[in-house]
Amino acid sequence: MKREDLRGIIGAWDLKTLPPNVRLGEGCWIERRATFERFRSVRNPGLVLGKNVWIYTWTTFNVEPGGLIEVGDDSVLVGSVFMCADHIRVGKRVVISYNVTIADSDFHPLDPEERRRDAVSNAPDADKNDRPRLVSRPVVIEDDVWIGIGAIILRGARIGRGARIGAGSVVGSRIPAGAKVKGNPGIIIEPGETDG
Amino acid sequence: MTRRKLAHDWFPEPLPENVVLGERSWLYSSFAFRHYRSLRPVGVRIGRSSGLYNGTFFDLGPQGEVTIGDYCTLVGAIISTDGRVVIGDYSFISHEVVIADSFAALPPRWGERGVLSVAGLRGSVSTGVWIGENAWIGARAILLGGARIGQGSVVGAGSLVDSEIPPYTVVIGNPARAVKRLRPRAQ
Repeated sequence: MKREDLRGIIGAWDLKTLPPNVRLGEGCWIERRATFERFRSVRNPGLVLGKNVWIYTWTTFNVEPGGLIEVGDDSVLVGSVFMCADHIRVGKRVVISYNVTIADSDFHPLDPEERRRDAVSNAPDADKNDRPRLVSRPVVIEDDVWIGIGAIILRGARIGRGARIGAGSVVGSRIPAGAKVKGNPGIIIEPGETDG
Repeated sequence: MTRRKLAHDWFPEPLPENVVLGERSWLYSSFAFRHYRSLRPVGVRIGRSSGLYNGTFFDLGPQGEVTIGDYCTLVGAIISTDGRVVIGDYSFISHEVVIADSFAALPPRWGERGVLSVAGLRGSVSTGVWIGENAWIGARAILLGGARIGQGSVVGAGSLVDSEIPPYTVVIGNPARAVKRLRPRAQ
């Protein structure tokens, strides 16, 4: 393997080679170049990382042309697969563990007839512009949230400050600050603070 | 010990010195040790004729210790611990399984002042994971601290286990519950 290619894998690569609509705070560390392989945002900015954000091997930013992801200071993204069509905001000091998926859209229609049309216009040689419009709802993960191994966070989720999302949970709704969530569908097992 | 490299490896790093790879065992790459920080005399011990395939990672803190038996297969599991993880002989660990003794595990990292901070979350205690002989862990299952999988048991795909599962038992779900007993065949 060539030295150049290797740097993209072990975190010694040049962060300045990122697209111009990616803004990094001081002290950010991103292990692999491959994290940006599916970054297609044309918004400016399309990705904003605060200070000292640590991003490990398994994280990917899969961002559609109209998408924006923001991550606050001192957050650690271990294995967070972002699928972003609109807006995903992650607060400060957030910890996201291995094999987590965070999506702000279903990326396909619920209606069967629409979905058939989607399948046809999504074929390898088809005109993707014929696809039905994506319905997205932003995802907000507030400060000091921990997201456990393998959790899935779906469109419209708003996870309050300091909440704990248990390993393997699935969450697509509003979670009060300080609450603890477990299971699929995610059930609040400790209520946290009252949510106004 | 000399600096050992795997003959087929694309990743240029040697295996860490405190890793023992048994006879006829296969490891896909030294990339598996990308976040490995174990300072134990033997941080990872792999028995004979075991296969560790693409996507397997040993994210070990300084006190982390992993023992894998003979004839085991790991098809890409992430093991994250600053304690002890044991996988018994003949066990099969499927795709995208995570074995970690903290619920939002992190790989170990160098702390702000160049001091090594431990795997897992700050303040968490590593309670270890134990998998008995001939167990089968299904795809995307998660084994957390305190998980003890009995000999011959099966953990269904996507299940979450953080407690003791008796031998020869099938468990599924999050949290996992027993759904079937498997009678061991008489010798």
